Parts: sequence; structure tokens; C-alpha cells
Amino acid sequence: MNDIQIRIRDLNFYYGEFQALYGINADIERKAVTALIGPSGCGKSTFLRCINRMNDTIDNTLVEGLLEVNDENIYSAGLDVTELRKKIGMVFQRPNPFPMSIYDNVAYGPRVHGIKNKAKLDELVQKSLEQAHLWVEVKDRLYKNALGLSGGQQQRLVIARSLAVEPEILLMDEPTSALDPIATAKLEDLVQKLAKEYTVIIVTHNMQQAARVSTKTAFFLNGYLIEMDETSKIFTAPKDQRTEDYITGRFG
Amino acid sequence: MNKLKIWDFITWVCIGLVLAVLLLVIGHVVVSGIRFINLKFIVETTSNAGRSGGIRNVISATIYLTLSALLLAVPVSIAAAIYLQEYARKGRLLNILVSGIETLAGVPSIVFGLFGFNIFVTLLGWSWSLVSGAITLALMGLPILTRTIMEAIRAVPRSYRDASLALGAGQWTTIVRVVLPAAFSGIITGIILSMGRIIGETAAVFLTFGSTLNSISSIFDSGRTMPVHVYILSSESVSIDNAYATATILLVVIIALNGLAYLYQGITKKRG
Amino acid sequence: MDIKERYIRGVLLVCASLSVIAVAAITYTIIAAGWPVFTEYGVFRFLFGAKWLPDADNIQLGILTMIAGTGAVTVCALVIGGPIGILSAVYLAELASKRTSTVIQAFIDLLAGIPSVIYGFWGLVVLVPAIRNYLGSTKGYSVLAGGVVLAIMILPTVVRISADALRAVPKEYRDGSYALGADRWYTIFKVILPAAAPGIITALILGFGRAIGETMAVLMVTGNAKQFPTSLLEPITTITGNIALEIGYSWGLHRQALFACGAVLMIIILLVNFLINRIIRRAAGGIYE
Repeated sequence: MNDIQIRIRDLNFYYGEFQALYGINADIERKAVTALIGPSGCGKSTFLRCINRMNDTIDNTLVEGLLEVNDENIYSAGLDVTELRKKIGMVFQRPNPFPMSIYDNVAYGPRVHGIKNKAKLDELVQKSLEQAHLWVEVKDRLYKNALGLSGGQQQRLVIARSLAVEPEILLMDEPTSALDPIATAKLEDLVQKLAKEYTVIIVTHNMQQAARVSTKTAFFLNGYLIEMDETSKIFTAPKDQRTEDYITGRFG
Repeated sequence: MNKLKIWDFITWVCIGLVLAVLLLVIGHVVVSGIRFINLKFIVETTSNAGRSGGIRNVISATIYLTLSALLLAVPVSIAAAIYLQEYARKGRLLNILVSGIETLAGVPSIVFGLFGFNIFVTLLGWSWSLVSGAITLALMGLPILTRTIMEAIRAVPRSYRDASLALGAGQWTTIVRVVLPAAFSGIITGIILSMGRIIGETAAVFLTFGSTLNSISSIFDSGRTMPVHVYILSSESVSIDNAYATATILLVVIIALNGLAYLYQGITKKRG
Repeated sequence: MDIKERYIRGVLLVCASLSVIAVAAITYTIIAAGWPVFTEYGVFRFLFGAKWLPDADNIQLGILTMIAGTGAVTVCALVIGGPIGILSAVYLAELASKRTSTVIQAFIDLLAGIPSVIYGFWGLVVLVPAIRNYLGSTKGYSVLAGGVVLAIMILPTVVRISADALRAVPKEYRDGSYALGADRWYTIFKVILPAAAPGIITALILGFGRAIGETMAVLMVTGNAKQFPTSLLEPITTITGNIALEIGYSWGLHRQALFACGAVLMIIILLVNFLINRIIRRAAGGIYE
């Protein structure tokens, strides 16, 4: 058994009056890919955004319960959100490179965290782009605008941007939903490689994708975590009837 | 954390300044001016070059000029907005027409004044008159009217047009029967707001409508509008008291028009 | 298309073309009316002459002092109004709740609707005496008074257009920046403001155009002294103010010179529009490049 990096106990989440998550309990392993699946609006993205406190940027939200990363409660009063987000990178549904050069995009995070040394930045940029399997494609155009890249390249750039702050965990919110099949395959390949060094949590509405890339899968429905287990078990022998219904395509 | 607070504070100060300026300007003028206003001031005509008497003739000149300008500009603007929004296709022509409107909107008031002065006042020999002023102001009002009316027309859902066209109605019939009625409240709001602009105009009016304290009896009569009256009374030190009073009435009218447009928009939004 | 539809379409097109025709007619009329000044009197003498003596036997029609006066109040207005306007826009677009933002925007629209003569009047009765009494200006009528009044007048334009540009920045940029651990102001300065830069520059250029063309308000507070602006507290004359003051009693070459002043303004405004179009086009092009 691998060790647990993220521990969630009785987590409730509210948007104003509306409760989006109910009593979530889960343990997420270090250096593995955990897939979150479920129909639209089931709370899987909300759950993901709890882990790096991105929900803080939305007004009128409330979190209850315990969410520990490396045995530290991330919702405790004294926690530095900047440090937390440095530790936890995030990739969004639509590629969102900033309207600046490729280099500046990747260097953005390190600069946020106070790295000014040019040599150090150069090194981080190259290393991150290599890890994101993008270096070869962009090394001659580092100072061109990132918006000139293709969708798949943009998404890998965003991953490189996250890696540049040397995180431990990568959150991915349906990262392939805006990509074509070839770019998707490349990205899935990348996700598996990244899992050797990072803890990856990926939200996906594509069950084949979950089956292909993840070691553990969690199934969400209407704000509840219905079932979480080895991916192979979830897809071959789910314990809960609702999981089976979803996986066999009876709803969602 | 401290740096964040400092910038929060600076933006607070900026927006505070903007609002404070508004209150200071309106507050000062209205508070100082209100005590000079009474019924006599509104119903009597000016005497002694504005030192005494009321401003009835000034108010009526303002109304004549504003309504004449709107009468000229509104139909043309509606027609222009319909063309640009409903007929024109994307391309060079549309770009030229739209950039013409944008450019005209940026032309300074004094340049409109010079144009009107040259063409209507001197070349056509209409002198400083209601007709010279009204045409000049109508031209000035054209871009803002056209833009607001275009917006109102744009807000009409595509489906309304499709439904009418699918029933076999022609494009013009669809526009007259479906699009314009649906855009009506937006058009009215646009006209009210433009009216505020036209009423407040000074430089171009000064150069084309003149500044005589006549009562208007024909379109070739010259007259003095409220803004021009405020300008002359104050800058030539004729009567600061009456300048305050006139400025207050002008401000109240402008605020009332803005409020009216705002309320009207609110009411129709709720209903629709 | 039947004949009626075609006829209607033609009439509508004529109405829609009126603005373009008006711009052309105004430009032509003003330049033509001022033309003799450029040819007979001389462009160089007109633009760079420091003396304006229309009634002298040896007539002098140099507008350099007025160009400098207009430049001084305009720069003053942008220096005061620009930063305040942009930061106010940041407040409306980034910090304020939607409700607060809507209410404040309504007030700012009201600010835009107030006639320029009211600002001029306020400047005359409040600002000018204040500058005379507290800042030691001998007359009070000054570059500073003009600059402040103009700053107030360009604020609504700067705020509205900058705020629109800021709101148009995709939410994804903010998310991306926050997710990397950046705080609100780092995100605003490094991502959002640069992304909105074309819109903000457009706002400033429009403000510049409005400031340069403004007549009455500035005329009322700057004192009509045809001299170079040597200090913020000295009176000056602007190009626009001079036209308004002198056109009524001018004749001959003097009147033509006033039209030539209008032509100079018109050319500046056309340049401003051209610039804005380029910025917008380049900004739009940049995204698809």
C-alpha cells in the first residue's frame, strides 16, 4: 500500500444555500493517478477545487470538515494559500495560457514565488517544458506569444507552467475536454509519465480515459462520493449498483 | 499582505474621489443655486441682460432648439440603425459606415460649431438662428443616437425575426412589425439620454444659435439656451446669482432625464 | 428582392451614410475655409508663430502659444485623470461586487451626462478662487484649473472603457494565476492589466481626444492669456477657447485663421481615431496570430 498524501474527512461544501458536497471521505495516494468520474454537476470539479482552495475565489462559499495535505489541515486559519497553491498545481478544462510569451508563461509561477535569477528561471523553464513533452516543439520560439500554439500544445504549456513551481500534486479538471483525439492521446500519455513523480488527480467525464490513465477511481453522484477503489475493480466489479449503472451507461 | 492592503486602499481612494467629485459639483451648484430659484424666475423673461428677471425665454429657446434637433436627428438615426443592424453585411462598407459614426462622435463640439457657422450662418445666410443651431445639433446627436438605437435593436432576440420571416413576412415588414416594437423601450431610453446631451451642449450652440435674449417666433430667430446663459452670466460676470440658478435648473433637468432613462429601462426590463 | 424593399433599403443606406458624409463635409469645409492661411500666410508661420495679433497693422497669426496651452491642460488632465480612472476601473471590474459596480457605474454615467458648462461654472466659482487663495496663483485662472476640470470630464470615458476592457479579460487567466499561488494584485498587475492594455490605451486616447476638443469648460477657467504655460498656476489660452471667443467678430484672414485652428483640431481628432482603429485591429489580430 502506498502512503496517503491527501486525507479528506466529512467534507461538506456550500455555494450560498446550495450544498454541493455531502460528507466526503477519501484518501488519495502519493505518486499515483486518481480519477474522479461522474455525471455533470455531481460535484467532482467542486471537490477538486477544494483541494487547492480555488473555491476561495468564488464569493459566498463555505467549507466544513477536514482536508489534510501531508497531514496538515489546509483550511486551518494560519495556512498560507500561496504556499499551498505552490505545492498543488492545477490544469483547467480549457487551456488558459496567459497572453504573453511561452517563456513568460512558464516563468510566471517561479516569479510569483520570488525567483528572479535569470539562469535559474531558464533552467526551470527548460526542465518544465521537457517534463511536459513540449520542449522540442517550442525551444526555438520561446519568446513568441503562447496564444499562437495549438490547443494541445497550449494545454501542455499550462502543465509545464504548473510544473515550474515544483509542485507535489497536480489537479486536472477535464484537461482534454477541449482537445482533439490525437492531442488527447498525447496528454494521457503525459499524465501517466507525470504520475511517476507527482500525485495526479484528474476529473474526467470520459470513462475510457479514467480506465486508461488512473490507478484509483472515485465515482461521484449528486454531491456524494459513492464509491472509490482500484480502477480495475470499479470498472469490472463495482460494489454499488449506482456505480455499475453509470459505468454501463444506464445514465449520465 | 500589507502590499495588498495598500493597493486596495489606493483603488478605494480613487473610486471615492470620482464619486466625491460628482457629489461636490452637483452639491455645490444645487445648494448654492436653489435659493435663487422661485416661480418668478421660471415664468418671467430676462431683463437687463440677465441681471434681473427670470429665464422663461431662455428655457423656451432651449426647448425649441432641443426638440427641433431631435425631430431632425431621431428619424435619420433610427433609419441608420436599422440599416446597420438589419441590412448591412459584414465587410468594407459596414466598416466604413461604422467608423464614420465613431469618428463623428469624436469630433469636438467647437468644430461642429465652426462647420455650422460657416455653412448655415454665413454661406446660406441663415445667420444665428434656430434652423442653423438645430441642424448643427442634429448632426452632433447623430452618432450617439444611432449607437444607442443600434444597441436596442441588437437586443431583440434573433428568434423574433426568424419567427416573422418564417411566416412569410418580408424583411421590412418584420422590422416594422416585430423588431421596432420590441426595441421600443431601448430606443426611447436612447433618445432621452441623447436629449440630455443636446440640452447641455454649449460651444456649437453658441456659434450657430447665437446668444441673443429673444423670444423665438420663427425658425430664423436667434436665441440663448440655458448652458449659453450660464456661460455668459458667469464668465462676463453679469450675475453670478442668476448663473447659479440657471445652472441648477439645467442640472436638475439633466439628472431628471438620466433618472428617467434609468427608471424606464428598469421598469421595462422587469416587465419584459 | 421586390422594388419596395429595394427602395427602402436605399433610403436606409443614405441615412446610414450620413455620418460618413458629415465627417467628410466637416473636414472639407473647415480645411477649405482655413486654406488661405496655410497657403498665403504659411503653415510654418501659423503653427510655430508665437504672436497672435489679428488686429495689428502687421497681422500676426501664430498659434504656438495656444498649441502649448492646449497641450499643457491636456497633459495635466491625463496625468490626473488617467491613473485615477484606470484604478477606478480596476475597482469596478475586479474588486467591487456586481451590484456595487452597477450602482457606481450609473453614477459615473451621470458624471458623463453633466454639461461641460456646469463643470466650467463649478471650476470658475470653486476651483479658481481656491487656487488663487491656497496655492498663491495671482489670478487663479490657470493650467491647473483647466487640467482638473478636464480630468473630471474625461474620467467617465476612461473608467467605462477601461472597465469594459478589464471585464473582457477571460476568467481563465485569473484562475490560472491564482492556481499558481499569485495573489490578487500580482494577478492584476502581471496578467489582467497587460491583457486589457489595448482597451485601456484606447480609453486614454479617447480621453485625450475629448480633452483636446473641449471648449467651454476650459475657456471658463484658464483665463485667456496668450502666453506660454511656464507654470501650472499661470493662465493660458487653448485653441478651442480662442475660436469660441473670437469667431463672432472676426473677418478676413483672422476668421480664416480660426477655421485653420479648427482644421488643426480636426486633423488631430482624425489621427486619434486612426490610432484607436489600429490598436483595436492589432489587439484583435494578436489573438488569432
